[in-house]
Amino acid sequence: MASIDPALVEFLSSGVVLGCASRDARLVPRSVWAVGARVEPGGEEVTVFLPVATAGEVVANLRDTRRIALVATAPEDHRSIQLKGQVLEVRPATDDERSLTDRYRASLGRTLEPLGVPRFFVLRIQHWPAHAVRFRLEDLFVQTPGPAAGQPFQGPFRPPEPAEPVRR
Amino acid sequence: MISPRDIPECFEGIIPAMMTTCSLEGEPNITEISQVHLVDDTHVALSHQFFNKTQRNVRENPHASVLLFSPRTYEQYRLQLRFDHPESEGPLFDEMAARLQVIASHTGMVGVFKLRCADVYEVLSAEHVEGSLLPADPRVPRQERTEGRLEAMARELRGLQAISCRVNRAGCLEVLLESVLQALEEELGFRHAMVLLPDERGRLVTTASHGYGSGGVGAEVPMGEGLIGTVAARRRPMRVAGVGAELRYWRTIRAELRQAGNAPSAPEIPLPGLPDAQAQLALPLLVGDRLVGVLALESREPMAFDAWTETFLNILANQIALGIDRAASADDEGEQLPAAVAGEGTAAIAVPRTRVFQLFRNDDCIFVDSEYLIRNIPAKILWKLLRAHSESGRTEFSNRELRLDESLGLPEVRDNLESRLILLRKRLEEKCPEVQIRPVRRGRFELQIRCGVQLRESDSA
Repeated sequence: MASIDPALVEFLSSGVVLGCASRDARLVPRSVWAVGARVEPGGEEVTVFLPVATAGEVVANLRDTRRIALVATAPEDHRSIQLKGQVLEVRPATDDERSLTDRYRASLGRTLEPLGVPRFFVLRIQHWPAHAVRFRLEDLFVQTPGPAAGQPFQGPFRPPEPAEPVRR
Repeated sequence: MISPRDIPECFEGIIPAMMTTCSLEGEPNITEISQVHLVDDTHVALSHQFFNKTQRNVRENPHASVLLFSPRTYEQYRLQLRFDHPESEGPLFDEMAARLQVIASHTGMVGVFKLRCADVYEVLSAEHVEGSLLPADPRVPRQERTEGRLEAMARELRGLQAISCRVNRAGCLEVLLESVLQALEEELGFRHAMVLLPDERGRLVTTASHGYGSGGVGAEVPMGEGLIGTVAARRRPMRVAGVGAELRYWRTIRAELRQAGNAPSAPEIPLPGLPDAQAQLALPLLVGDRLVGVLALESREPMAFDAWTETFLNILANQIALGIDRAASADDEGEQLPAAVAGEGTAAIAVPRTRVFQLFRNDDCIFVDSEYLIRNIPAKILWKLLRAHSESGRTEFSNRELRLDESLGLPEVRDNLESRLILLRKRLEEKCPEVQIRPVRRGRFELQIRCGVQLRESDSA
């Protein structure tokens, strides 16, 4: 069973883009943008939040097949990690959990704004009400574009590479 | 249901997409992809530089799903796909490979790795993801936005007509190039543009530029290198939207390679023109299959150039190409030139300053006061003029005598003499304004010297 190191916990709760993947009984995949993720105490379970407005079929797939993949990507440098696991629970997110999705949206806005995405767009993301999907983490994969993409994640999660100087 | 054609901006690679597949064992897999390529109404393609899980999955279970994001509205779109076939040659593959290499060239990654294959998918369905965003500002009705686009198209068409008229009226190459670049800004709002013309060494030389300040003219691009060189070599227009996002993506790959001990040795090469360009478009200027130049535009707006822009500017590019060809072949002496080109006066007023021109014979290269001025055929022409002036005081020369002088090395056909004289004139204006070349009539020009001139020659620096 995989677990998550503290640097990765921080990465998942920062302003990363989150994509949640499912598949149906005929092996047809389907994904949805997630609006927050939380690593549960112990680091072996993760809860991901999916907007009710857009996640209908994905949630149905997750209930039915229990297989889930979650990718987290830093938009500023494309560092990316994929989590795979078995769904343990699908339930409506509670009012207490709304602050987590609010914080995620604000954090995403701070990440995207310097990249040219206006703040008003982020404020328009439909993030509530949400489903809370808790899953047991089984595998972690490096998803950063490059020769190591798709390899099992060995950790620890590293900070971004400093930029090389551009010759002018 | 919508058609992928309804959302062309989602295929520009400005916002990464999310690709989901599933293995035969039922394991979903999701990854970010930098760009989905629109092939036709019912097919898209993905490029693969590395063999990865997505490729493995679709070869055992062809179903896939991709989430796309509109860089204009930030709305989401979902395509349900079925893997159709891979391509490792042919027009689609070549197009995607060329695009990859253009971006790679800016990050010093040319040849580090190449496009392995293009996977083509059938689009089974395309839909707008309803409810991903809260409703837009209701004070802006959809109908008004549609009319705005139609108005923009009408304005673009009028602009095109106005520029086309200027091309038609231009009496010489220099007026043609300068008025077109000026009109691109005035009529269509494209503030940064340049025209590069090929020389005998297979390089493209910037002969006219607009929006880059005084420098820029004389800058060279090797054929096949970067966006402009690639467009020239392939004779097909290309555009890159969201340059900043593309560069970030490639810098990440470069950093990953460095991490793995496979760092590319080539340094990152700055973009031509604007250092912070977010969008680039380059169009070949063709007469038949013959390349007579490249029109290149840049913008700080990531989506300044879309498929529509490329299409209508291509019409313009064809006219510019014909204009260049016409100007190059028209060399009859005697016709009066427009006042703007012919220059204001001819009196050479000597001032105390002396400029030192140094020719390096082995490199066909001239420096003025130790600063690089010009090289190759334009340098040989300048040297011929300066020597004639120094020996006999001559100031007026003809294109014909230059063409007859074998020592200059002008090709017998299509010698591009006009463009070389433009380049020489602009380089002198920038680096040595006391020495000028002014056209006086078609096919004749005058050397104006307003300083002392000293000529030195040596074999090499």
